Amino acid sequence: MAREKLKTPFLPPVDDPQVRTGVRPLVRPEDCRTFAVAGVVPQIVSSFRSLADASAWIKTLTNEGASVVIRGAGTKQWRPPAPPAVDAVLDTTRWAGIVDYEPADLTVTVRSGTRLRDLQTALHAHRQFFPVDPPFAERATVGGVLGAACNGALRQRYGSLRDNVLGMRVCLSDGTLAHAGSKVVKSVAGYDIHKLFVGAHGTLGLIGEVTLRLAPWPAHQHTLCAAFDTPGTACEALAGFDRRALFPMASVLLDPAAAQRVRSLPPRGACWSLVVRCGGASAAAAAELRDEVAAACRESGARNFSDHDWDGTQSVWADIAELAGGEMYPAESWLSARVSCLPADVPEACLRLEALCPGAELTAHPFTGTIFAAAPVVGEPEADPVQRAARLEEECRKAGWALAYLAAPQHLAGLLRQPVPQGAPVSLMRRVKAALDPSGTFNPGVFLAGI
Amino acid sequence: MQPDLVERLTAIVGPSHVVRDPAELTSYQYDGSADRALPDAVVFPADAEQVRLIVEACREFECPFVARGAGTGLSGGALAEAGGVLIVTSRLRHILELDVANRLAVVEPGVVNAHVSEAAKPYGLHFVPDPSSQGACSIGGNVAENSGGLHCLAYGVTAHHVLGCEVVTPDGDLVWLGGKRYDEPGYDLLGVFVGSEGTLGIATKVAVKLTPLRRTRHTLLASFTTPDDASRAVSEIIASGVVPAALEMMDGLSVRTIEDFVHAGLPVQAGAVLLVDVEDLPIAAAQTAAHVRTVCERAGADEVRQARTEQEAHRLWLGRKSAFGAMGRLSASYYVADGVIPRTKLPQVLGEVARIGERYGLRIANVFHAGDGNLHPLIAFDDRTPGEYERTVAAAADILRACVRAGGSITGEHGVGVEKRDCMTLQFSPADLALMSRLKAAFNPDGLCNPGKIFPTSRRCGESARIASRGGIAPDTARAAGAAF
Repeated sequence: MAREKLKTPFLPPVDDPQVRTGVRPLVRPEDCRTFAVAGVVPQIVSSFRSLADASAWIKTLTNEGASVVIRGAGTKQWRPPAPPAVDAVLDTTRWAGIVDYEPADLTVTVRSGTRLRDLQTALHAHRQFFPVDPPFAERATVGGVLGAACNGALRQRYGSLRDNVLGMRVCLSDGTLAHAGSKVVKSVAGYDIHKLFVGAHGTLGLIGEVTLRLAPWPAHQHTLCAAFDTPGTACEALAGFDRRALFPMASVLLDPAAAQRVRSLPPRGACWSLVVRCGGASAAAAAELRDEVAAACRESGARNFSDHDWDGTQSVWADIAELAGGEMYPAESWLSARVSCLPADVPEACLRLEALCPGAELTAHPFTGTIFAAAPVVGEPEADPVQRAARLEEECRKAGWALAYLAAPQHLAGLLRQPVPQGAPVSLMRRVKAALDPSGTFNPGVFLAGI
Repeated sequence: MQPDLVERLTAIVGPSHVVRDPAELTSYQYDGSADRALPDAVVFPADAEQVRLIVEACREFECPFVARGAGTGLSGGALAEAGGVLIVTSRLRHILELDVANRLAVVEPGVVNAHVSEAAKPYGLHFVPDPSSQGACSIGGNVAENSGGLHCLAYGVTAHHVLGCEVVTPDGDLVWLGGKRYDEPGYDLLGVFVGSEGTLGIATKVAVKLTPLRRTRHTLLASFTTPDDASRAVSEIIASGVVPAALEMMDGLSVRTIEDFVHAGLPVQAGAVLLVDVEDLPIAAAQTAAHVRTVCERAGADEVRQARTEQEAHRLWLGRKSAFGAMGRLSASYYVADGVIPRTKLPQVLGEVARIGERYGLRIANVFHAGDGNLHPLIAFDDRTPGEYERTVAAAADILRACVRAGGSITGEHGVGVEKRDCMTLQFSPADLALMSRLKAAFNPDGLCNPGKIFPTSRRCGESARIASRGGIAPDTARAAGAAF
């Protein structure tokens, strides 16, 4: 469908970092290509330096009937389906910085365009962190991580992203600036509307500022990697963690191919690797947990171990985060998906996925029943991956697993739709979308069931 | 109420599960709050389908409907504020699934909170949220209010432990929000449903997470000369990178009142007492306990005691848990506020609370979740003294104002309901409230589902909604509040 050009006049590009007010195009119109969303080039790209400005600009665009895609670092733009058209991109990366940080309260309020890495660096100075380990960790913005609900393996110990978001300031398509939640660690006043924005992929409004619950940084950490013959025996070890009441920071299960991508892990051959991150406030506490984890693994038939101290831990988990549909599998040549099942179904799901998708690499977060699968799609005739995706969708539906596509090459992104699980409350979701974004301004058509 | 609707309801649940008798209805006009409202009918559905049919019938007759669990709520959330049908979940009390391998349980909303943990205990698991009313309160009520508890400091509130809910929506659909799995695709409607105080629908099944019981627990009691010293210790414990399982404070007035009542061995000369639980593996727990002791001593603790036996720990906690009951010795009635502040503001706001008490000539005891910054000032009053209840409500409102000024919230775990609806404007702007009503309309377009809650009326925060001629707080209300702080 051809779209009319936006009437809003292009303002001169801003090169002067001293200019602090007004929403301006970030780039010359001819450079909009750099900000394409899954290959779809916007007519205008703008940034903002205050929420009042963002609000005025969003209102203008809404009145024009424009579609607006909110963009942080652009790391999730390849999530299928590709948008039918993009009129305007609103880049958040200049809306960065910490607004309020009181270490003794274990909370921080931050602007959505802040790079997660920069936030973590600031928090580390006070031996604290925001407990999430998403993919694209070096580039992603806080707003992007929340908008895409990029829960990492740390969810095992620290809870879901939405559980660690205490409050938010948002901007709706009619320009309304509103806040939800609070700045304190516990509040039940009013609806927790901020939780709706986590995982909404920018379809409800702009996340302006967020208040996050922080965690103390475990001063001592070990990473234990145990090799198992099958995913089933590896997951038995996890049941052992429960019996022993062990609460490691994170556990991931890697198939042989995925394990090879983690640089600091020793070669394992055809084994499945269970990698467990153990943290403690003291060396003795961390070692106590590590020893218990090792014992549980041994009971379940682990063949050998490698134990990494802090330096090793850092490098191992930096790589592991990128296995979850991240930098390890560039969207040009990989189709990345997330399969959610019950934790006890992880072994079976892993084996079924391997059979269904030859060449796929699997990274599972077995505690939550989340499996990240990446399949190579380069050099194949176009119909092949689409057919395979259809088969995968059918298998998941039959097994009662939820499937979500995370990234696909451009030629595929236009062909895939996000599968809608049976019984999903789609009509209620549509009403929520219509209530918050009645004009359909934000990221239309790409979320779920045409929302 | 239209006779046709009564007939429909009777056909749905059977005549023995409908209450219409005026005398019997009066016992459903209360919950744990000071407010009251009389329903026109009470029904007791046996399953989700009956709940759906009741909602459908109410919609047809444009009759308000309100879900009610055990009635232990402290903010009037389960009151039939606009009359209509009260849907009581007491027959929906089955634990449907206990799935040890997946660490979850699926329960009906009327299941008592503590019963879930009891059922899971043989497998070394428990349901984490532990509001002090856990022996009576229902899971459905916990979901509606997003209940907290003593141990939510380290382990989170109800929202963190619910995977999904089967819900009858206000327009009569039966849907699952979330599920048994993590990461259901689409909007996180569950996230906004939990804590919506029964205004977005009625939960008919709840999938909850179960968590392994910790191996080692140490209970410490630290006594301080002043609440300021104790507050400083709280801040320093949190800032030093330790998040205890529970971190509670009782001020001097509370300690003495409680000790007179239960003889738990509390230090009656103290200005404030901290009660701390640390839980972990044996070595880690011992180290953390030692660390907490050091921090408390550094902050000026007069004495730090560590319970040597489980019985001793139990006795100390019994003291804390009896607090509200003990307050009955202080005065005829008391009113509990529920404000939250950033932990670092504890000394400042506790000082303000004391000054508010002086200003209104009311005695205020503080027993609260210090680790979360969740205050529970207990305002003692005597209903027989004319105007004292009104002054109490006004003082409570001033306390909430102080909490919001300090950057906090008007309610940490008791909910807004009827009680604090007029105080919402302290924390939220008209734009914030308008956003909330847009969301409410998406779920509850004709407003029949639990009307009159959360959103402000034309009254000011702190104006008593209670009509004086209605008399004092009923003893059963006071008892409910005593168990449900």
